[in-house]
Amino acid sequence: MVEQDLPYRPRRRTALRVLVPVGVIAVAATGIGLVPALASDSAPSLPSVTAEQLVAKALGSDTQALSGTVQVSADLGVPAQLLGAAGGAFGSGAHGGGAGGSGRGSADPTAKLTQLLGGEHTLQVAIDGPDRQRIGLIGGLSGYELVHNGQQVWAWDSSTNQALHLTAPQGAAQHGERAKAPLTGAPTTPQAAAKLFLGQSAATTSVTVDGTATVAGQKAYQLSVKPKQSGSTIGEVRVSVDADNGVPLAVLVKSADGGKVLDVHFSSVSFAKPDAKTFDFKAPKGAKVTERRADDAAAQKQHEGAAPHAKPDGFNVVGEGWTAVLSGKLPGGQVSPAAEGKHGRSPVPQDAAGFAKALGKPVNGGSLISTKVLNVLITDDGRVFAGAVTPQVLQTAAGVK
Amino acid sequence: MSQAEALEAGTTPTARTAGAAAAPRAQTAAGFAALFRSELVLTFRRTRTIALLGILAVLPVLIGVVVKIQTDGASGGQGPAFIAQVTQNGLFLVFTSLAVALPVFLPMTVGVVAGDSIAGEAATGTLRYLLVAPAGRTRLLAAKFTAGLVFCLAATLSVVAAAVATGAALFPLGEVTLLSGDTIGLGAALLRAVLVAGVVAASLAGLVAIGLFISTLTGSGIAAMATTVVLVITVQILDSFPQLHAIQPFLFTHRWLSFGDLLRMPMHWDNVLQNLGLQSLYVAVFGSAAWARFSSRDITA
Repeated sequence: MVEQDLPYRPRRRTALRVLVPVGVIAVAATGIGLVPALASDSAPSLPSVTAEQLVAKALGSDTQALSGTVQVSADLGVPAQLLGAAGGAFGSGAHGGGAGGSGRGSADPTAKLTQLLGGEHTLQVAIDGPDRQRIGLIGGLSGYELVHNGQQVWAWDSSTNQALHLTAPQGAAQHGERAKAPLTGAPTTPQAAAKLFLGQSAATTSVTVDGTATVAGQKAYQLSVKPKQSGSTIGEVRVSVDADNGVPLAVLVKSADGGKVLDVHFSSVSFAKPDAKTFDFKAPKGAKVTERRADDAAAQKQHEGAAPHAKPDGFNVVGEGWTAVLSGKLPGGQVSPAAEGKHGRSPVPQDAAGFAKALGKPVNGGSLISTKVLNVLITDDGRVFAGAVTPQVLQTAAGVK
Repeated sequence: MSQAEALEAGTTPTARTAGAAAAPRAQTAAGFAALFRSELVLTFRRTRTIALLGILAVLPVLIGVVVKIQTDGASGGQGPAFIAQVTQNGLFLVFTSLAVALPVFLPMTVGVVAGDSIAGEAATGTLRYLLVAPAGRTRLLAAKFTAGLVFCLAATLSVVAAAVATGAALFPLGEVTLLSGDTIGLGAALLRAVLVAGVVAASLAGLVAIGLFISTLTGSGIAAMATTVVLVITVQILDSFPQLHAIQPFLFTHRWLSFGDLLRMPMHWDNVLQNLGLQSLYVAVFGSAAWARFSSRDITA
């Protein structure tokens, strides 16, 4: 090259050349820093609406078909192992205690979707009306598909090649409700997450329109939902509602201290009707298929009684709105769901109490399992109080000081 | 070593056709091609390279035989990725083998080749002869880097070829079930396997640049190889700590296994493209660092 012809000045040349990689690093760092900042900075200008109009638009959105990619990022402060164990316990009797994430034996939707409550996940979603949905959970080198098409629900796990097939004997409408039950256990779409928060009553909740944003290339209004009551661990919920069709595109839940707890948003979305083939799922070759009637599935769920939003017998709700507290007796089968004879109010089993004690820290009147949002108080006499509220509210509900 | 002779044999005719004064600049393309060819011959004629490729080819055979023997065992989702599908379709042995080889075996062989590329020449005393030829240090570096990339591709393809052969011999072939549960024909699946091989080879590009840079720092080939391999392992350990969540997206090994996203029905490109972007960033940073170091370094050996 040309430098061989120049007078040889090694030190100056070295100094000049070192500048090149340093410059490349600087350019790369600025690029990485600037691109997201520029992208999120563009707030589109939209005609102003009232909060009531926007909530009505979001809840009454008649958009039936959409497909896209959803990013779910949850930081509830619950250890991933615990979620994995819980997912295993909810599933068909798989032994808990493995690493959460990959490699669980069952194709049970509840077990899989519980994993969404910890860490970051990517979902491919396709929806065509109330009867046809498909959710694909993108794992590292595996996939998990949940397909609902009319009378049928398929769940398939690629890492084990096991499938679960639910069929409805009765009408599709009745079945549809049941089939969606596992889907709502964890918020798989911004719609599901938005419905959780926008349905709150006006007495306990303040809803305001707070600017606009661009989500997945769509112009959207931002709704800010805040609890009026004190004592909730949730500080604010921000819902981005599509300006054109009212579809919630993103939901961001912040805890009372301002930390991000749950972030569900579309990274890409299309409102075109998905190809009908998308919902036409058959068990892959060689898959081990478990056939179940929808009735049996519902009944079994009742027995296990451990799904996050299912209320097992003997549990009731104290308070209302954001400070509602779920209370009840400690179920005997918390650790081993195989034991089904928990209707008898036996004294607190040693293992369950020990399990709770080991996880929680001792407070007045019992032990407290505390996460960013959800707090659980297990009193010394075996009662359980849980809610997205501060420990003080739980202690008041339990009547201990 | 014969690389200096091979190089001169390659470059001399072109150098002669160009003018004497402008020779190093005028014959860039042809000169680079000759230099690249000589590098390629040097790399692939070595017994060491052939042995490395051989070891990589044995890996799928080993996995295939083990799966075949244990064919009854429903592993319950344990073990390497795609293992549940291998017994259904031999083509999945390709993806299992790549998933097993990518964290350790492939980077180790790449580290050996890239780490030795400059330092090895310096150690054996052939580097100065290479620089005597009218090639220029920048072009020599570029040729070494390109040869390293070709080795990545060769290493990946040797895994894929051995896996396809083993899979076809031991297991049935046929329609392939993707990770999204959709089924595609064997031809389309083979195309995807080739695409995956290309992506895997490209994910090693960052490592080639790092190895090349380390290689310019030292005069000992063994030291450069060892440092590169140790670096790969260290980075993967760092990648496993949840506490280092903030820096992990910038580690060059972080998205290596994203090739699995190409095995879904709408191919999910996000992670793959991020991986390739990150690799090109590493190539730019460490490539320019290698250039800065090598082009101003005193060659004493």
